[in-house]
Amino acid sequence: MSAARDRIFGRVRAAVHGRKRTDHPGDFLGWRPASSVTDAVAGFTEMFTAAGGEVVRLASMGLASTWLRDFAAGFTGVALGASLPDDFVPDFSLAQPESAELGVSTAVGAVAETGSLVLDARDGRRVQLLPPTHVVLLRKEVVYPTLAEALEVVSRDPPSAVGLHSGPSKSADIGQILVKGVHGPGRVIALLVG
Amino acid sequence: MTRARPADYPQAAAATLRDTPEVRDAVTAATRTFDTHRRESWAQIDAERWRDWCRDVKDHVLTHLDDLLEQAEVRLVANGATVHWAEGAYDALATLGRIVDAEGVRRVVKAKSMLTEELGVNTFLEGRGVHVRETDLGEYIIQLLGEPPSHIVGPAIHRSVDDCRRLFHRHFGTPLDATPEALAATARQALREEFLAADLGISGCNFLVAETGTLALIENEGNIRLSTSAPRVHVAFVGIEKILPRMVDLSGFLQITARGATGQPIGTYVSLIRGPRGEGESDGPEQVHVVLVDNGRTTLLADDVAWETLRCVRCGACLNICPVYRQTGGHPYGFTYSGPIGAILAPALLGLEEAMPLPFASSLCGACADVCPVRIPIPDLLLHWRARAVEAGLTPLGERVAMRAYAAAAERPGGFSGAGSLLRYVPWKRGGRALPVLGGWSAERDPPEISARPFHKLWREGIE
Repeated sequence: MSAARDRIFGRVRAAVHGRKRTDHPGDFLGWRPASSVTDAVAGFTEMFTAAGGEVVRLASMGLASTWLRDFAAGFTGVALGASLPDDFVPDFSLAQPESAELGVSTAVGAVAETGSLVLDARDGRRVQLLPPTHVVLLRKEVVYPTLAEALEVVSRDPPSAVGLHSGPSKSADIGQILVKGVHGPGRVIALLVG
Repeated sequence: MTRARPADYPQAAAATLRDTPEVRDAVTAATRTFDTHRRESWAQIDAERWRDWCRDVKDHVLTHLDDLLEQAEVRLVANGATVHWAEGAYDALATLGRIVDAEGVRRVVKAKSMLTEELGVNTFLEGRGVHVRETDLGEYIIQLLGEPPSHIVGPAIHRSVDDCRRLFHRHFGTPLDATPEALAATARQALREEFLAADLGISGCNFLVAETGTLALIENEGNIRLSTSAPRVHVAFVGIEKILPRMVDLSGFLQITARGATGQPIGTYVSLIRGPRGEGESDGPEQVHVVLVDNGRTTLLADDVAWETLRCVRCGACLNICPVYRQTGGHPYGFTYSGPIGAILAPALLGLEEAMPLPFASSLCGACADVCPVRIPIPDLLLHWRARAVEAGLTPLGERVAMRAYAAAAERPGGFSGAGSLLRYVPWKRGGRALPVLGGWSAERDPPEISARPFHKLWREGIE
């Protein structure tokens, strides 16, 4: 290993040596601990909507597929995530994420505590980010009460990258005025099934 | 505007107030908004318990940093990332230079990162003829203006909407009455091309999880997600203090950082990156390089008093509430990190002499300590550095003499009350310069009226 590494470690050890080593305080109890969340779906919906996201809830995959077909009719060019079930995907005019107006992908989880969708790199990152509108298929079973729980689940078989998306892209860098859709999608819809 | 040095702070701050009074208005308005959102957001949670927990995790990290850094390195390498170590800016830039050369990099997109500001990455790359583009909207604005960031979270808060309209008019020909939406759409289009054409994406890092070798990055726009996934090479610069032990620890830190910074429950986008594109993944970088940077942090870690500064999560809450920062914004501080946290980081990262007089750029009102999500005792540490400055002879001679005399007198109760009584005979009103320690202070203010009876006498007699 490098000499720089050795010197840095030498200084860290010298600094830490002799200082009282303190224990880790244990698990973080969120603002809505798991025990207090009776309905994770309602919690997610409230938080995701408050952040500017939209939630469309449908009872079955068939109904969701029909909704998506009708919704996508308003867009030219749809980019699809790699994990969408084949029988779910209606007949779209497909496009690459770079040119598509609509991106459709699948969430591997969602978080009630923070209103976040958990997106997996195996689904494709560009489809999650480049099209101005993003529809995310989300099954009710993978909506977790707390962020800690979702992080634990996603760590079991982790991809190279996970994105937590909590609403549309936004910025207030121009005069503190909120603008949506700066780099990522300005509109994000969780298509919640179940 | 070129960056001032800390030594120029008094003049730079005065010049900002005199020549560009609109900066105070913009910074005060923006920081008040940030702070209001933080306060509302903290009211929803058990903030005191959260702050205790975050402080305790960070103290655990800092007292086990050697083990945790080793663990993080092992995990990152197992994930397929390349780990580099840099003692200072020179090493860090040399490492970047080697990657740029080896990969034939011509175009770089950058995600907002204070550490890369600290290291001078943009200047270095531009000097080598590499095209560098900041992609955070605020960073993009100040890059076009040729300015450094003035705030940890909102780099362009010192600029008004009209400033941005004029800037975009010059660069893109947009109308002078364009809406913020139209300006943002213009930037989106220009930067979209940059993302897709770049060979290399550079980011910082909010947290590095030792257990899994995961880099966590927080943002609102999506530019960090794109910078770290569109180009074929990703280089992340990570301060060695950014470690968290476990993946689940992120749940507390991601939430408190966002709530402390802008009041959001979580940043709109969080990227959790383990390494390069995996098998079966259609996109993402082919190479991920993690540069672990010391650059003065081990000096701070070795300081038995000031090491707590390394708990900082860079949320900016202390800037937002600071009555001194609000007057001028960050530029007059002449250092990457401004406001209260900058005033206690500068002496450690730059050296005390170079950082003077930043530890004195505070009224010690204590508001920063009240809002710090990791409970850094900032006012105590400001006093710590002030005391060091006096010991090192870095303060004006008159003040040193006065402080020493005060210390000598204060150690003896008789001497203290005697000295206090003497002050009652100092000719305050005549020029107000009788006390050298108040020379600068009283030059622009009326000296205070001295009470006819000293406090310790009133106290003994029972204050009414």
